[in-house]
Amino acid sequence: MDLSLLAFGSGWGDALARGLLVTLALAAASVVLGTALGLGGALVATSRRRTAARLVGGYEVVMRSLPELLVIFAVYYGFSFALQALLAPFGVDGFVAIDAFWAGVLAIGMVHGAYCSEVFRGAFAAVPAGPLEAAAALGLRPLPTFVTVKLPLALRFALPGLMNLVVVTLKATPLVAAVGLEDLLRVAGDAGKNTKHYLTFYLAALAVYLVLAAAIWLVEGRIERRASKFLGA
Amino acid sequence: MPDLVAGLGPYLPLLLEGARTTLLLFVLTLPIGFLIALPFAFARNARNRALRGLGHGFVLFFRGAPLLVVLFLVYYGLPQVPGIRQSVLWFLLRDPFTVAVIALSLNSAGFQTHIIAGALRNVPANEVEAARAAGFSRPQVFRFIVAPHAVRLGIRSFGNEAVFVLKGTAVVSFITVRDLMGAANQVYFRTFELVPPLVFAALVYLAAVFAVSRFVRLVEWHATPQLRRAR
Repeated sequence: MDLSLLAFGSGWGDALARGLLVTLALAAASVVLGTALGLGGALVATSRRRTAARLVGGYEVVMRSLPELLVIFAVYYGFSFALQALLAPFGVDGFVAIDAFWAGVLAIGMVHGAYCSEVFRGAFAAVPAGPLEAAAALGLRPLPTFVTVKLPLALRFALPGLMNLVVVTLKATPLVAAVGLEDLLRVAGDAGKNTKHYLTFYLAALAVYLVLAAAIWLVEGRIERRASKFLGA
Repeated sequence: MPDLVAGLGPYLPLLLEGARTTLLLFVLTLPIGFLIALPFAFARNARNRALRGLGHGFVLFFRGAPLLVVLFLVYYGLPQVPGIRQSVLWFLLRDPFTVAVIALSLNSAGFQTHIIAGALRNVPANEVEAARAAGFSRPQVFRFIVAPHAVRLGIRSFGNEAVFVLKGTAVVSFITVRDLMGAANQVYFRTFELVPPLVFAALVYLAAVFAVSRFVRLVEWHATPQLRRAR
């Protein structure tokens, strides 16, 4: 194994670092979108609107059953098809490529959201009745009760599950290379093809993913210890 | 549905062949992963610290490594390990399908180790003590007390893992194995019709997941006497 291949400047270090940034940005944007979708989904699923709740349930089942790759293709090609149809009357012809990064964010975020929704539902169910009754007794309106009492308590129950999903989503990001995104794994693959040192570059990429996952688990452990203080556990 | 099938017309055999490959990967990966996971699960629960560390490390590795990285490492990386082309393993690594089964099984073994070890650990100790006091031998305790209870505890997580394995098989199209996802993609590139092949693939995946969850519920019902009595 020749480690000088990974050097910055003369080696592939700069390209790999750019790939890593793409991976991190994709994971972060997907997690933000997915967590928001999941929170919204959980609120609808636990609301009294039966039809809407059922739709959310169906969305969750479908998203958790389909391969991420299929969702990525559907979003990427689906959107470019729609754009093509929209632009056709204006004389734009042929394939309209949309940005692989944002298609990836949308696709992975949608899947992430389906899993998050489940975590949030469990967390809302775990909030004890006492604080909510106290809030009602104090005359707090529903919205302030939710924002200042229910949501902070639920977040503590949801955090371990949410952090776990961050790792799952980070691991799903290399799939977006299938629609042309130059993420860390894709760059490592290109470097391997160019230099014929596949093993070196894939091991380097593996090490980076493992370090990122370990970092997330470390943060998770810290947050959990802090949160459990407040839960009195 | 009839429209969909008609739209696919000449490409239906290609898709069905892909679906067959996907299901084959699934039914091979899950049991092979289980067989790899068993020793690691026992190591994870062992009294020996080094063994416990080994089991834990195995789980953490696959929980942290993207499946695609594992797949590429086995497919592109392993043949570059010095000496491997001369070894007996080489005939396994030449065929993309076998590589896919190896990578998927190893990855699933990591998660199954976690599930099996957790289920075995959570069987109440007093049940084991009671059985020992009643004169059960150690193998008998495992066969009649620990194993059935562990199945009851782990079956749901195992079902979730089965769904992950099924979804995970879609990555094999990256190494030229033509599974359902790859076939759907190919139909799209030949016909420039997006919806029919993707919907066909999605329906097959959904049906397979539905079948898996039904099967898991059946096993759970059989493994849990109190569920049966409640009816």
